[in-house]
Amino acid sequence: MTRWFPYVTAALTLGLAIAADLLWGQVSVAIGVFIAGGIITLLLYLLSRFLSPRTRITASPDSHSYSDSSAQSYTDGGSASPKKPMVDSAGDESEDLANLMLRQGRYTLLLRPQIADNIPPEQVEQARQALDEEMTLVPAGELTLSRNRVGLEDQREHDVEGSVVHIEGIYLDRHQVTNWQYARFVEAGGYEQMQLWDPEIVPAVLDFVDETGEPGPAFWRGGTYRPGTEKMPVVGVCWYEAAAYARWVGKRLPTDPEWVKAGSWPVPLPGSAPVQRKYPWGNGFDQGRANLWGSGPNEPVNVDKFAEGASVGGAFQLIGNVWEWTSSRYGAWSSATQGIVLDTSLRSLRGGAFDTYFDQQARCDFQSGDQTIARKHNIGFRCAIGLCDLIPDEELMDMPAETEESLVAATADYQETP
Amino acid sequence: MSRRVLVAMDSYRLAQCATPVSCYICGNDNNYDTELCRHCAAPLALSHQASTQGVKPQMIAVLGTAAAGKTVYLGMLLDMLTRQNGRVQVLARGAFSINLQQRTMAALAACDFPEKTPNEPDRWNWVHCQATLASRKTPLELIMPDMAGESILEEIDHPNSYPAISAFLEKCSGVLLLADTERIERGETEQNYFMMKLITYLSEQDCRHKQGKTKRPVAIVFSKADQSSGCFANPENYAKEKTPNLWQQIQQRFHQYGYFASGVAGAVTYRKDRGGSKLAVPLRIEPRGIIEPFEWIIRKLD
Repeated sequence: MTRWFPYVTAALTLGLAIAADLLWGQVSVAIGVFIAGGIITLLLYLLSRFLSPRTRITASPDSHSYSDSSAQSYTDGGSASPKKPMVDSAGDESEDLANLMLRQGRYTLLLRPQIADNIPPEQVEQARQALDEEMTLVPAGELTLSRNRVGLEDQREHDVEGSVVHIEGIYLDRHQVTNWQYARFVEAGGYEQMQLWDPEIVPAVLDFVDETGEPGPAFWRGGTYRPGTEKMPVVGVCWYEAAAYARWVGKRLPTDPEWVKAGSWPVPLPGSAPVQRKYPWGNGFDQGRANLWGSGPNEPVNVDKFAEGASVGGAFQLIGNVWEWTSSRYGAWSSATQGIVLDTSLRSLRGGAFDTYFDQQARCDFQSGDQTIARKHNIGFRCAIGLCDLIPDEELMDMPAETEESLVAATADYQETP
Repeated sequence: MSRRVLVAMDSYRLAQCATPVSCYICGNDNNYDTELCRHCAAPLALSHQASTQGVKPQMIAVLGTAAAGKTVYLGMLLDMLTRQNGRVQVLARGAFSINLQQRTMAALAACDFPEKTPNEPDRWNWVHCQATLASRKTPLELIMPDMAGESILEEIDHPNSYPAISAFLEKCSGVLLLADTERIERGETEQNYFMMKLITYLSEQDCRHKQGKTKRPVAIVFSKADQSSGCFANPENYAKEKTPNLWQQIQQRFHQYGYFASGVAGAVTYRKDRGGSKLAVPLRIEPRGIIEPFEWIIRKLD
């Protein structure tokens, strides 16, 4: 409301000046009223700028059930209206900070060993709940992924033997990062916190603005997303913006092998290479399971749609909707790139988008790429974090047995799918 | 062992074969069983289809410099219109009409661009199709060849060196003019001059017998527009800012014109061939703005 004050005051001042001129017929009186009004308008404008909501935490969108309601639930028990400002009046400074982080979706920071020891167990539990709700576990294991002769730096991140790559267990976001989630980063001044950004891109961060020149994704206006798109994946962000957001929430971008493993869910069979799916739901392409060209509305949809296309682990829309940045360089993990003049500024993209034309370019093992500073309408991202980066979960102590069960289930599922 | 069979003497067939067939493109006579016109090398199947089905197809030209993306545009357009049940639909007439689509799609699916269209007219792909608009009851019969950019340039510089091109452009009802955005962004001016020559040629063809602007609809399509962020937002503004002389010429010479932006590859990188020259490689296929110019043109023909 405060942002309208200067305009209303300006209109009133002008009206008053005209009225004064008409009533008294004296131009000097009218000019005096006009100048006084101008000063008041300027003061109000400065006041409204001072009170602008740049650093305030706004409420989650009404229908943001998959993550924001959970964020809400672990701050106020889930009973309050999402519109209610969430302010914790009690508790010390660290508790307040922890609550703020929970509201911002930065729960993984609270699960870091060095932080978890210094906050109340209830908050650790809340962070754990958020982790379970918003991220899916991709167990450690092997997958087959072809490699190129270039990109050795990326390949060193994993144990590689021939074309078999071993990855450690990770948590991967169930959904692509939404506009609403990214808005928390923008509001918290993410574009001004240079420690979040890769050093080489710092001079260019000022250029990462929206259509109105405010810091933010390329297709936003006035520093925020368009109404009704809060649950849609954030697009128009370059690789550096994705990486900075991931750092801010205490996560990172997944590597190519991690992303492929989450989607193709390899089943290790004794004496042979792991059996992998072409698509998260199986080996046959099914138009109804992903938002691709010809199967969706030809634009991004909410990140919780196309549930039937979810991976075995429960990651939504790994295929379709928007391409996803990974941390790997383009070409490092794909033999199809042999002979290509590889530009080190190209980063890997996985998963296809709403406008991907060919089914075979939306398979788990298909790699595309783009310039690190490309801010396109169909490129978004999701984040990951290594199991080893978080405090050990007691439930995960039973992991081997669970993994075995899930693998058996996956094998059965794999055999059923055409 | 031999068997005696009775073969009816189909004298009417012989008579039919004796009748010369006039080429639908250049109008010259050919033998009945000839595959390509001996004058312009256009397929005579176009004439046979027109006479047997009793239709008079209209012609749409897709023009542009070499490597402006004519083959990819046409192939992609046909595939999209045959795959999707949208406002415009296309049915191929004759198996030869699917060759271009097949060739283009096979290359793009494998993350490659189709090979350059040869300069020889007998190796060009011709498309005869039936386009249906949701708002129109009767479908439109269309002929759209994929001509080599170098041949078009040669014909414009030296008229009648390619009879197929001159005859086709003389008869065509609408023109899709492809301008390579990548080259515009690089600041190359050669394409600009080519476009101006082409516009002059088309305009003079129409105004040979009369003065004034030509009524033939022209869609100026900025191909590879994914190379420029501003092009998709406002193609006309882009034309005005980046190619002012082209924009000026279009204004002065044509009554009906529209500016469009299109793109097929989401991103492009390069591969070195054996000779060391760089070949563009698409990193993914995500068509944008392909159908709009075509739909605009056929609505104008309507």
